[in-house]
Amino acid sequence: MSLPARLLGRGDLHSLAAPYALDALEPAERVRFEKHLKNCDRCAAEVRALSEDAVRLAWSTAAPPPAAMRDRVLAAVRATPQESGPVVREHAPQLPPHVWGTQPPPARSRAPRERRPFFVPFATATAAAALVVASLFAVQANQTQDKLDAERAQAREIAHVLAAPDARATTYKDTQGRSMGAIASASEGQAIVTLSGYGAPAGGRVHQLWLMRPNAQPRSLGLFQRGDTPLVATDLSKSATSLAVTVEPAGGSRQPTSQPIVQLALKSVGFGE
Amino acid sequence: MEADELLVLVAGGDQKAFEELYGLVSGPVFGLVRRVVRDPAQSEEVAQEVLLELWRSAARFDPGRGSALSWILTLAHRRAVDRVRSARAAVDREQREARRAHHPAFDQVTEEVEAGLEREWVRRCLDRLTALQRQSVTLAYYDGYTYREVAERLSLPLGTVKTRMRDGLTQLRKCLGGVA
Repeated sequence: MSLPARLLGRGDLHSLAAPYALDALEPAERVRFEKHLKNCDRCAAEVRALSEDAVRLAWSTAAPPPAAMRDRVLAAVRATPQESGPVVREHAPQLPPHVWGTQPPPARSRAPRERRPFFVPFATATAAAALVVASLFAVQANQTQDKLDAERAQAREIAHVLAAPDARATTYKDTQGRSMGAIASASEGQAIVTLSGYGAPAGGRVHQLWLMRPNAQPRSLGLFQRGDTPLVATDLSKSATSLAVTVEPAGGSRQPTSQPIVQLALKSVGFGE
Repeated sequence: MEADELLVLVAGGDQKAFEELYGLVSGPVFGLVRRVVRDPAQSEEVAQEVLLELWRSAARFDPGRGSALSWILTLAHRRAVDRVRSARAAVDREQREARRAHHPAFDQVTEEVEAGLEREWVRRCLDRLTALQRQSVTLAYYDGYTYREVAERLSLPLGTVKTRMRDGLTQLRKCLGGVA
């Protein structure tokens, strides 16, 4: 930021309302202006009005997106948890308060999902609040951090697969409404795989994912962690024909010890050549 | 169903509602992102990210602060501008300086914007602005330039550009009136 800009007083901050509404501030100015907004009701009201004006410029640009984008987004939605801690923490600071609001998100209309008891109610938690949460639940802070790190890494991997130009989605649904889905990129050799409706196997057993190839033993791609948390599979060979899930003893097996409970063909997503 | 109601259902984890919301907003989101980002492949990538972010963060939408469509398009615009700026930062700085010094790109920019507009009434209202108001607003909103960059391109003082942006937006509001 230039010296004159730093020396400018509070009065001049008001003049940034229009550039702010047009997303025309540099990052440092944006942060400074957003700080100011929190304590200035008049500015906040003005920014809201100017932002509504700016949005009118967007209405005239609508254009139909590529058809394949719909499948990719909808498949990604099935594989992506909502309001998970790390994702929100990464994105929230970049967003203007008039967009996201300064209040915590409204109460959910449905009970938070079981698989994410720690993160759902604390989606907007600060680092300090996360520590309080950790002590409340008698969870060691570093364990919580590990979880956050793991989820953040997973969010990055999902974004990576999604961004591949040849990313395609496929799903299988049985008559009882249980489903298996994958977003896969043959060029990257990666896939995000989801299971839904199968519940947790009894007796501490686990759902294990296998890569099926012609003339080769099934290769383990990992264990599904909690309920319907997606699994990111890597190093998929192009010759792969399908993905299969079996129920295995705790810790998983080297080779499947039972028949697959569900299997998903990969031909439609560019594999099997 | 309107985007506002759908977004509330989406916040509750309703995937069917998200599909319906996608039908309503994917065109406006993609069109806006493509207008700012230009490159088709990158536009698709940014639009996808925005739509997925809607799913993840729907619970943060606060109906008391404006319409769902405004919220969504504001988010899309912010992401598009971020992308186009980081792409631009990669362009050789020297080359940029040289190009800037040569022509402030007055008419060219206006023409591009007008050709891309699909709706007569927005164009009509933009036409009613003074040239400097229109250029200040469109260089920022459609091309993703900061107000400092706009000032450089138009060879105007910073204060003038900020004022033109505000006046331009206010005039647009008056011209578009109650059209929603």
